[in-house]
Amino acid sequence: MNAPSPALCPCGSGLRPARCCAMQAGSIPPAEAIRHLVPLVERAIQAYQQGAKDVAERLCLDVLELAPDRPGALSVLYSIRKEQGKAAAAEALIRRLVHFEPNNFEATNEIALMLLSKGALGEAEIHARNAIRIAPQAPQAHNLMGMIMTEAQRPRLGEYHYRQVLAISGTRDPIVLANLAWCLKNQGRMEEARALYEESAATAPDIRETLLGWARLEEADRNFAAAAEKLDRLDRLFPNDPGSVLTRAVLLGRMKRPDDALALLDRQAPAAPTETTESTDNATPPAGAAMASAPIGLGPTELSEKGRLLDQLDRHDEAWAAFTEGKRLAREYTGNVYLDQVAGDLVARLRGFFVSGRLALLPRAGVRTDVPQPVFVLGFPRSGTTLVEQTLSAHPAISAGDELPLINDIINIMPRMLNSPLTYPEALAELWMGDQRDGLDNLRDYYLQKAAQMEVAEPGAAWFTDKMPLNETHLGLIALLFPASPLIHVIRHPLDVMISALSNHFTHGFYCATALETAATHYVRVMDLVMHYRSEMALRYLPVRYDAMVTNQEETVRAILDFIGVPFDERCLSFHENRRYARTASYAQVTEPLYERSLYRYRHYRQHLEPVIPILRPMIERLGYTVD
Amino acid sequence: MTNSALPEVPLPFGDLMAIAGRLENEKDYAFADRLLERALAAAPDQPDALHLSGIVAFRLGRRDEALTKIEHAIARGIDIRLYLRNISEVYRALGRFDDALNAALRATAMAPDDPVCLHNLAVIQYHRLELDDCIASAEKALTINAFLPGPHFQLAEALLLRGEWERGWNEYQWRFDLPGNAPLMPPTTQPRWDGTPFDEGTLLLVADQGFGDVIQFSRYIPWAAERCPNIAVASASEMIPLLRQVYPKAQLFNEWRYAPPFRAFRALSGLPALHGTRPDHLPGHVPYLRADPARAALWKERLNRLTPTASRRIGLVWAGRPTHNNDRWRSASLAEFAPLAALPGVALVSLQKGPAAAQAGQYFGAAPLVNIGAEIVDYEDTMAILESLDLLVTVDTSVGHIAGAMGRKVLILLARAPDWRWLLDRTDTPWYPSVTLVRQTTTGVWNDVMAKAAELVRSTFRQ
Repeated sequence: MNAPSPALCPCGSGLRPARCCAMQAGSIPPAEAIRHLVPLVERAIQAYQQGAKDVAERLCLDVLELAPDRPGALSVLYSIRKEQGKAAAAEALIRRLVHFEPNNFEATNEIALMLLSKGALGEAEIHARNAIRIAPQAPQAHNLMGMIMTEAQRPRLGEYHYRQVLAISGTRDPIVLANLAWCLKNQGRMEEARALYEESAATAPDIRETLLGWARLEEADRNFAAAAEKLDRLDRLFPNDPGSVLTRAVLLGRMKRPDDALALLDRQAPAAPTETTESTDNATPPAGAAMASAPIGLGPTELSEKGRLLDQLDRHDEAWAAFTEGKRLAREYTGNVYLDQVAGDLVARLRGFFVSGRLALLPRAGVRTDVPQPVFVLGFPRSGTTLVEQTLSAHPAISAGDELPLINDIINIMPRMLNSPLTYPEALAELWMGDQRDGLDNLRDYYLQKAAQMEVAEPGAAWFTDKMPLNETHLGLIALLFPASPLIHVIRHPLDVMISALSNHFTHGFYCATALETAATHYVRVMDLVMHYRSEMALRYLPVRYDAMVTNQEETVRAILDFIGVPFDERCLSFHENRRYARTASYAQVTEPLYERSLYRYRHYRQHLEPVIPILRPMIERLGYTVD
Repeated sequence: MTNSALPEVPLPFGDLMAIAGRLENEKDYAFADRLLERALAAAPDQPDALHLSGIVAFRLGRRDEALTKIEHAIARGIDIRLYLRNISEVYRALGRFDDALNAALRATAMAPDDPVCLHNLAVIQYHRLELDDCIASAEKALTINAFLPGPHFQLAEALLLRGEWERGWNEYQWRFDLPGNAPLMPPTTQPRWDGTPFDEGTLLLVADQGFGDVIQFSRYIPWAAERCPNIAVASASEMIPLLRQVYPKAQLFNEWRYAPPFRAFRALSGLPALHGTRPDHLPGHVPYLRADPARAALWKERLNRLTPTASRRIGLVWAGRPTHNNDRWRSASLAEFAPLAALPGVALVSLQKGPAAAQAGQYFGAAPLVNIGAEIVDYEDTMAILESLDLLVTVDTSVGHIAGAMGRKVLILLARAPDWRWLLDRTDTPWYPSVTLVRQTTTGVWNDVMAKAAELVRSTFRQ
């Protein structure tokens, strides 16, 4: 009789759980006891380098069964699983490797890249910082930090690290130049970015990412012909490149040629999809970032674009199919799913902490009058926050700060800043201690100092916007830090928000947008929380309806400007002429005049939305909308 | 019997009903409900069980069920007079005043000598603003039993509402005898003050009834002090800072153990009768309350930060204390204030407290709304905030009284059958010159009231 084979770890590593994700701390044998395994590890590395991957894999599994902390075996097995597209296994292995070898520069780089490609920017940043600590003079470490900072809405910091790469290396590496160009493009510094792309391409004309990034720069800067020319060059060098196809499809869509764009996508030969991170137009990270695994056919990003094109052509059922398939693939490739428990716990703790009785005892930060102050543009991702920001930033007194990650930063550093053994929000209890009474002022200054470092406010501006989606989750904290800052909450029909969430990929909100139902769940959680804050606190809060922005623009804009306390400015009505580049997924929409097509899009998808209507209906009615 | 368990041994139906009736009397509604459920399981159409079960359901807030059961009982009828008498009250509570009137009229026709039926009828007629009929019903009940406090009090309300205050004040004294009312004060051998001046000894005034009443009747304290200079006032702690403003020399206390020896006592709400108050003859001057300047400055700064500087600030209060016996009719909801929220150039400032304050969180109207109520600690805060508002719009609550006593501009939105103090028809009030009254035309319907209020606000700001 054969003994049953032991169950393997669900992550897909090929190891037993006890030697993988369920490993106990005490199960690591002492180094002395396993020295006889060293030759096996060396043989595994050699086999891998020689292409004998089956042999390498077997050797690694054998070694790790006996000594699960062997770095060489972990490293080789990680590489094999990554090549096989087993994302969960690869992640588990590289995490273990970094855990056992925290000073391993290569592994630290690798995990940071993996997290970057997955969109887990916060964690990626932790490892990137470690990489610089390990090797402060390594251009690679600074390049990594540049990429992460650029993706994490801190392009000014990204720029610093890219320039460090150039300074340390003493060369004008074309890839770094292209990365820097991308970073500058994300700051809206189009001319400087263009010059760098030209320089990069002059040195190395055949680099895919350079041409792709350049094409996207031109597309974003509305130079459609120039964008097409770059893509033509790219296609000659890399026929059927999925990134090129996607970019051209986006370009054709912007040129009002959705049929052609769609035909292009449909013609795309089976190939690797572009990676799925935040649905900004940064869908192609700069060179050096890890690519996701490479299954055949359209990837998540292409499918989303295809869905949007089909939507434009009123082929709604097909659009829905593309969107849902895109979501399915995104879940499969990234392994990201809604962190239901984590989100629910946080919301419950925030509700429990921010109650009027406690708030009456908490101090408020003072209001600084010597530096520009934030205007918080709040809302679920894709609810119209970019439109409002673009409108406001057409005003000379208001600069666009974009999606500033600073409130989240403050949440993370709060225990340290307040010297608290607790985390947010409970750490705010330290404000009752004599030595922390000015703690909120310190946190406020951290925010303002970082905002100044990011140069978000233009000269002469009294205000800058912070439109980080779902900042409303932290409305209570924001009001403690900035009691005089306007809180502009963009409200849109929840079912329209769901359509937008389905047709885009974003990681905000604990990965809620990886599925329609979880997006609805998170939407309701956050809106309930907003209502809680508003019933417990006096807030400078203005709900702005997206529909009112579209159908009654001038009156609505006047009301918002009045609420902020700046005089009306005609330029805010023609925000689409604002040459500022909005880096989020809405950038193309906000370069066009307002159009009513975006209102109540859900009606085309009514039957598909049936599963989430029961979740959303109470909120829909509370907001004064109906389900037609 | 405790409510720990149902009787183990099956009881005869009559005993079961007797126990259920006693439990209802003792306000052990939950247990009575379970017993009656058992009774109805055995005899689903038994009218007395249906009726009593309906009464219990009504007490437990299950009004529709109550109605169904009592209607069923009437159809099956044993003691239809009693059922009708009670169902009229259920109809009234549900706002079905026509049905309530019909039931009460049928009950009184069947039992013309039942003063309770007549009292119920008078209550319904008051709500229908049929004041002649109301007075006639109450008077008829009193001819049958002159010592029933209910009809006396209903008569008082009708007379006072009509402006017949001299007779009304006398009847108003019966409120202390209404069943369920807490005694005014601990037992005392000292006499009730009859208005005779005295210099030696202390006159004890009891700040009775709701906060609005205390604010309204506090204007009488200086008048009383002219007759008895040594005044002590027993009051809820919330009112003490306000009463101190009205008569700084008064001894104020909030627990009976701190009560000083006194020579005579009187409820604050009993002073108008002694004064002989008429709509054209009130003591004191308005304003008699004012905000503390330092607090007012702090709140002004806070509101300046929270609302657009160019906007007119309108304070809102949409609901009163939920336990008030007329709260269903006097309170509205924030959503019903939509016409005000649609006015251009205004910022709404919620001063709402209590459970209804949560509605501020659910507001998504065009005008910004600041829920300052969440930060209000006491009535001194309220007064300080009122100083920074251009206008207050409120249903009939204590905040309206405070604003009126401060001389601030106020719109008070009234139920169709308002509290007696607001009189009939008029848009002004002798109590507070700065108050404008906006009256419901249909019971429970606020739409036209809010539209009228919005129009008044618009015209006020235009001036």
